[in-house]
Amino acid sequence: MEQQKIIQYLLTIVQSDSLSEDEFNQNALQLFAYQYTNNLPFRKFCQQKGKTIRTVKTWKDIPAVPINAFKEVPLTCTPPAEAERYFMTSGTTQGVKGKHYHPTLEVWNLSMKTYFKQRFMKETEKIRMGVLFPTENEMPNSSLACYLALAKQEFGTEESHYLLGENRIEIERLIQELEHAERSGEPYALLGASYSFVHLFEELRNIGRSFQLPPGSRILDTGGYKNQSKEWELDDFYHELSRVLGVPRKDCINMYGMTELSSQLYDSGNERVPSVKSGPHWLKTRIIDPLTDEDVAEGERGVIVHCDLANFNSVTTILTEDLGMKVDGGFLLLGRVQGTEAKGCSIAVEEFIKAAKGATQ
Amino acid sequence: MRERVGYLPDIGDEVIESKILTFTRKGVTLEVEAPLLTRKQMQQVSEKVKRASAEVLKNMTIMEIITIIDTAIEVLLDRNSTYRKKAEKFLPIVTGYDEEMIRLGLTSFLKKFRKYELQRFVVEDLGNPLLLDDFQPRIKRGFSKAVGPELILHVWAGNVPALPLWSLLSGLLVKSGNIGKVSSAEPLFAGWFAQVLVEVAPVLKDCLAVVWWKGGDEEREKEFFTYPDVVVGYGSNQSLESMSRRIPVTTRFLPFGHKVSFGVISNTALDSRKALITAHHAAFDIIQFDQQGCYSPHLFYVQKGGNISPEAFAQYLALELESYQKRYPRRTLSLEEMTAAIHWRNQEEISSYTGPTKLVLGQTENHWTVVYEEGGLFSPTCSNRAVKVIPFETVDDILPNLKPYRSFLQSAGVAAAPRELFQWAEKLGNVGVTRITSIGKMTSPESGWHHDGRFNLLDLVQMIDIEHSAEEYAENFAAYID
Amino acid sequence: MKKFENKTVLVTGSSRGIGAAIARGFAAEGATVIVNYVQNQGAAEETVASCIERGGEAWAIQADVTSESDVIRMMEEIELEVGNIDVVVNNAFKPYVFNPDTRKMFSQLTWGDYQDQIDGAVKSTYYVCQQAIPLMKKQTKGSIVNMVTNLVERPLIPYHDYTTAKSALIGFSRNLAVELGAFGIRVNCIAPGLVYPTDASRQTREEIKEMIIAQTPLRRIAQPEDIVGPVLFLSSEWSQFVTGQTLYVDGGLVMS
Repeated sequence: MEQQKIIQYLLTIVQSDSLSEDEFNQNALQLFAYQYTNNLPFRKFCQQKGKTIRTVKTWKDIPAVPINAFKEVPLTCTPPAEAERYFMTSGTTQGVKGKHYHPTLEVWNLSMKTYFKQRFMKETEKIRMGVLFPTENEMPNSSLACYLALAKQEFGTEESHYLLGENRIEIERLIQELEHAERSGEPYALLGASYSFVHLFEELRNIGRSFQLPPGSRILDTGGYKNQSKEWELDDFYHELSRVLGVPRKDCINMYGMTELSSQLYDSGNERVPSVKSGPHWLKTRIIDPLTDEDVAEGERGVIVHCDLANFNSVTTILTEDLGMKVDGGFLLLGRVQGTEAKGCSIAVEEFIKAAKGATQ
Repeated sequence: MRERVGYLPDIGDEVIESKILTFTRKGVTLEVEAPLLTRKQMQQVSEKVKRASAEVLKNMTIMEIITIIDTAIEVLLDRNSTYRKKAEKFLPIVTGYDEEMIRLGLTSFLKKFRKYELQRFVVEDLGNPLLLDDFQPRIKRGFSKAVGPELILHVWAGNVPALPLWSLLSGLLVKSGNIGKVSSAEPLFAGWFAQVLVEVAPVLKDCLAVVWWKGGDEEREKEFFTYPDVVVGYGSNQSLESMSRRIPVTTRFLPFGHKVSFGVISNTALDSRKALITAHHAAFDIIQFDQQGCYSPHLFYVQKGGNISPEAFAQYLALELESYQKRYPRRTLSLEEMTAAIHWRNQEEISSYTGPTKLVLGQTENHWTVVYEEGGLFSPTCSNRAVKVIPFETVDDILPNLKPYRSFLQSAGVAAAPRELFQWAEKLGNVGVTRITSIGKMTSPESGWHHDGRFNLLDLVQMIDIEHSAEEYAENFAAYID
Repeated sequence: MKKFENKTVLVTGSSRGIGAAIARGFAAEGATVIVNYVQNQGAAEETVASCIERGGEAWAIQADVTSESDVIRMMEEIELEVGNIDVVVNNAFKPYVFNPDTRKMFSQLTWGDYQDQIDGAVKSTYYVCQQAIPLMKKQTKGSIVNMVTNLVERPLIPYHDYTTAKSALIGFSRNLAVELGAFGIRVNCIAPGLVYPTDASRQTREEIKEMIIAQTPLRRIAQPEDIVGPVLFLSSEWSQFVTGQTLYVDGGLVMS
């Protein structure tokens, strides 16, 4: 299939209301054939596993590519140089960052807008926004910067603002915004990386302030906040978020996204944690047993695999390092496998790499 | 099933809180009840152990102590003894390792602590074992005596069964009071050993204690670390560092950090016949305790030029691992470990498409991975039976790769002809390797080995010298002086 | 799960006869089967169709297994299409007419006759193994089954050239089995008796058949389907600890 044809088709899918299991399957298989044919490293990966156009019969048979693969090889069906944009992954292997190439951002943009509207904006068309994250200009290869810029541009009122300058929260500006919302009763949306909110907690505690944002206000946080000054328990985080901003926890939405995908997943608020997360109809999530590649039973822990049809140029199916559990209406995100501590006295890879950095610098 | 672990001396009528650690393997659940002392109780225990060892242990001769240990070890070697049966039944549940692997591993490990081995152990460090009993004449004239600290606190880590014995026995041999903190991953063996020891020698009943607290428990550790004279700590550099921050400067700290080991195979061991045997031995080093030991190999440097190429050797290794999977299956991994293993293998696989010659052996259903990589970097694997084979021309080619990691290197298993062995040992030693052993014996250091290049007993003791001058001077004051 | 699901099987010379029966047998157990043929594309396509009908996956590849370049081309196609190979059944052989009445006497045979049969049996197996083994080594497992004949043990009728070549193939297989054991690859042989009906045995007279039946404990002549089970057995994990063996499938005519 031609790339152009695929793009057009995907745009229709994203705009449609739903996809039947059959339709999803067919699209996934078509994309698999396209990616198998046009991306040599991916093809080799599949061949090694005996998964080829001939043997892959359903979307679940498509080999899930580990996120680290983006750091090792260019996963793209078109020459990297021809990409409109590439996003860089956060983690590194020996200083190399992974790249996710997008020949065009058309699909990515539409995917983002469509589902953002559905899960975060809902009935609201526009809302006054504050963004706790650098701008797209400052971070041109950050998918999150791109995401937040698009959110602000498409769904923010004209008064919407970035509230992060040189990596510091512009606290006075933020307070003005929050006070304005409190006074005017106009709903306000604060969006940003989870760790920015942790910094915000500290700033507000230092000056001893908290706010009561008007009804309709909402929060969007994303990403982790590990390795920050204090490790927050999920429950404490949303408790604090709700307390200092006066937004009910049901309106504190967490976006679960990855540079390696072209779509995002959301929960419907965080009254209870861990919250149930789910993605759009063009993305399916599996929870698998990594030893067998089979789905685990509902209610059992496994590793999260996403099949995102919007990932037309790289690979549809991604093996994450996240643990999850399938539940009604989606899945629970149970955290990341972060270089498990060695059980014995043999050194763990992570510890070694950390030490090696010190040794070779 | 429930098993109470640890061992406490008599500190009167105290209610000891216990912590339940739960282990499940193949559907069998074992609850381990570990003693968790309050600060006051720990203080009582410390004082008791200190006092009792000063009164009892310090007045025993080294041969008496060795004989007691030997008797206790004999009990544990006897497959019909209650403790041995318990060990064979419970250790597989707690550590996850295969029953047979544990049984054979225990025997070969415990054998290193029988009477004659222990004597060798002592002689190895001190030359003259009587130094531990009395002042002994020195060649330089004068006299010396080796005295162990009053109280040693051992902080053990990891799930390799019975490993705490090394340091606990060293502590006993230098006649110190010993308190050990068992790890949550293997909280059983040290306590059993203490129990057996007291059964065979009731006089020692207050000379040692085996307790548990959650590693990194800042409050407890800060307090507990003030009692001993020496703290022997095992763990990652990170946990050792935070431990060291809680240890008063006046307390000596002997940290044993995580290490990485590897094998080096000469082409003399790679002819059409011997290569198979070499691969068999190498595979054993990998499967024994699933590479969790500091002495477990993560890489094999394999020399080119043999009839069997390094690549074919990697393939031999793969089949050996598959065969061992049938004989001693890998323990059940946690979901986290499994995920780490799959990502490691996948990443190796993917990088093989662009990198230099690289081959990944092992599929989804295999419980091992062998990566063959030309010019591969020195790095530990994700463990749990994952290994890299890296070809080389001359040993000098691999040295620069090892050099930056001097502080992490430990054992090198070597298969080479005699002349090569010594040449390579020299070179490997220069970059930081502290133990050269044969392939197949990497996980089984001999008694009296120098753990991480250090002394087992000498590092614990203090020497007391009577200089010759004092001796001579004393003559002046003798009543019988003419 | 079926025994050969997610497994790839190459059966050489499988457009007709025993080969086709073997291909269908694997397909019924869920395998992906490569139906190799030299000339008869129509028959090959029929075998493919019946494989798919039985629930397997299959496609046909034309290749003369006595030609190295053909074999290389075939393996490349297999790698591209399915990525790996789990089982190879070396079933192809040089056409041979089994007719006790018209067989050549030793004095009539030229070395060329022998050479043809050795090429058909051993050279073809050599080429296929050379190409398939690297793929199997990558997986640390694999099974190779070579088709021979019970005549090697008991030359009821001395088809000199044919049986000599098949005897050589047993020697070839045993040596290979020893060396490949270290890579988890097994090599075994199947030695059928007279199998009827096949193109090669079509001219066998009733009298001969009766003679064989009279000496066969199981009181009949083998059909192509009789060969399938033993081949599947030697290809599957059921025989994971069997290598270097020759399994006689002749109703008990030969016992060794």
